Amino acid sequence: MKKVKVIVMAMLILSTAGVNAQGKLFTRNGKINFFSKTTAENIDANNNEVFSIIDPQKNEVAFQVLNTGFKFEKALMQEHFNENYIESSKFPKAIFQGTITDPSMVDFNKEGNYNVTVTGSLLMHGVTNKVTIPATIHIADKKVSAESKFTVKLADYNIKIPAVVANQISETVVVSVNCQYEPYNR
Amino acid sequence: MRYILTTMLFFLAKTMLAQDSLTNLLDKEVSRQQAGKKQLTYATFKGTQLVNSRTIETLGKHDLDFRVSHRFGDIGGEFGGEKSFFGLENSTDVKISFDYGITNRLTAGISRSKGATSVRQLYEGSLKYKVLRQTDDNSMPVTVTAFSSAVVSSMASNSKPNTPDHFNSFSDRMSFTNQLLIARKFSDNFSLMVMPTFIHTNYVINNDQNNIYAIGIGGRVKLNKRMALIADYYKVFRSTASTNSFKANGLNFYNPLGAGIEFETGGHVFDFTFTNSTAILENQFIPYTTTSWKQWRFRWGFNLSRIFSLKKHK
Repeated sequence: MKKVKVIVMAMLILSTAGVNAQGKLFTRNGKINFFSKTTAENIDANNNEVFSIIDPQKNEVAFQVLNTGFKFEKALMQEHFNENYIESSKFPKAIFQGTITDPSMVDFNKEGNYNVTVTGSLLMHGVTNKVTIPATIHIADKKVSAESKFTVKLADYNIKIPAVVANQISETVVVSVNCQYEPYNR
Repeated sequence: MRYILTTMLFFLAKTMLAQDSLTNLLDKEVSRQQAGKKQLTYATFKGTQLVNSRTIETLGKHDLDFRVSHRFGDIGGEFGGEKSFFGLENSTDVKISFDYGITNRLTAGISRSKGATSVRQLYEGSLKYKVLRQTDDNSMPVTVTAFSSAVVSSMASNSKPNTPDHFNSFSDRMSFTNQLLIARKFSDNFSLMVMPTFIHTNYVINNDQNNIYAIGIGGRVKLNKRMALIADYYKVFRSTASTNSFKANGLNFYNPLGAGIEFETGGHVFDFTFTNSTAILENQFIPYTTTSWKQWRFRWGFNLSRIFSLKKHK
């Protein structure tokens, strides 16, 4: 019986120690911008409440963002985005989970700018697609930040643009991501 | 045996922990943050008007709403039918208006309309303020908007006394509407609104009432992303004495009932409607609707809205 207790304690200590040693990086106020450019109108939306986490041990990254958090230049654009295009009440979040495909390119313990490629699945508007996107990881003063810029084709996510507004909304939007990470200790 | 079981259990637990993916971690973090936040319900109605009634919606800050409303002549009955091409060759009222969002909750408007009773040439100034806002967590179950308007007629005064358009002073030309608009978005596809209303007309003829109370009910059912069914109705509380007095002179008042289809495409809203009321402004269509659905005295109408965003904000 005593042996069991010892084992239990040992396992508990080991497991918690394991979690701490992973040193995950986290933010809840990352930034995502998306931009649609047409001759008639530009659409520029910002979300400053992007959740992101990096697990440097496993080279895994994840992002989540609430669609209602996107702020537009025009109130009507924001309403149309939520109601007609991204359908926030049905699909409240956009979710990305992926891995750094070339982990040898980055050393989280050494200062520098690292260009990497991230492959994973992007869930948006109820549709999941496998995507590969370029990203840059900056490490300076023990602070980790990351940025990325990629394009999303709206049709890939079953977002339909009615013909009458086709000249106002681009078929592809440019998405820019920028996150400053802190150590995750929860 | 026992050791083995316990050890196995712990390995199992540890593997499960390891499977607690980053996405699951973020799920927890997002819901933890959302727990304390109130999300305001958006798009209870599409635009600031249903068929005849205003809605709880106010314009976004710096948005300008240009509206044209039109009511044609009676579809059937004495004045309708083929001879007026089912009312399309007559117009009982036309309104042109500009509304502007001073803040996201306060909208001010001006309008000109033809007017459908014997009081015509109407200028209107209005204010709309969103007092309470429905939240998605139902801590506030409804949106409440206060609406007030003042209307003045610019027409020449009728020299004949005891007529609705016999004006002795400027104030005789004025009337006022005050409403509380109370609405709830029950689901993505269904919103309902009740509208307690008080209308004051400064000058009325002998058997008429200066003050009229009414209660309205209106709703919207979305058919798809671009189309919705809309309807509104007002129950008007006119005194029996006044009702009978008008009736003795051959004039019956009816409660206004309107129904229509709403089409929306990026900034434009078009309502294609049917209503028994002839007037467009509250101070006329609520107390003075004298045409009834039962006599085929209802009409086609439309409301057209175009929103211009005058200033971008970040």
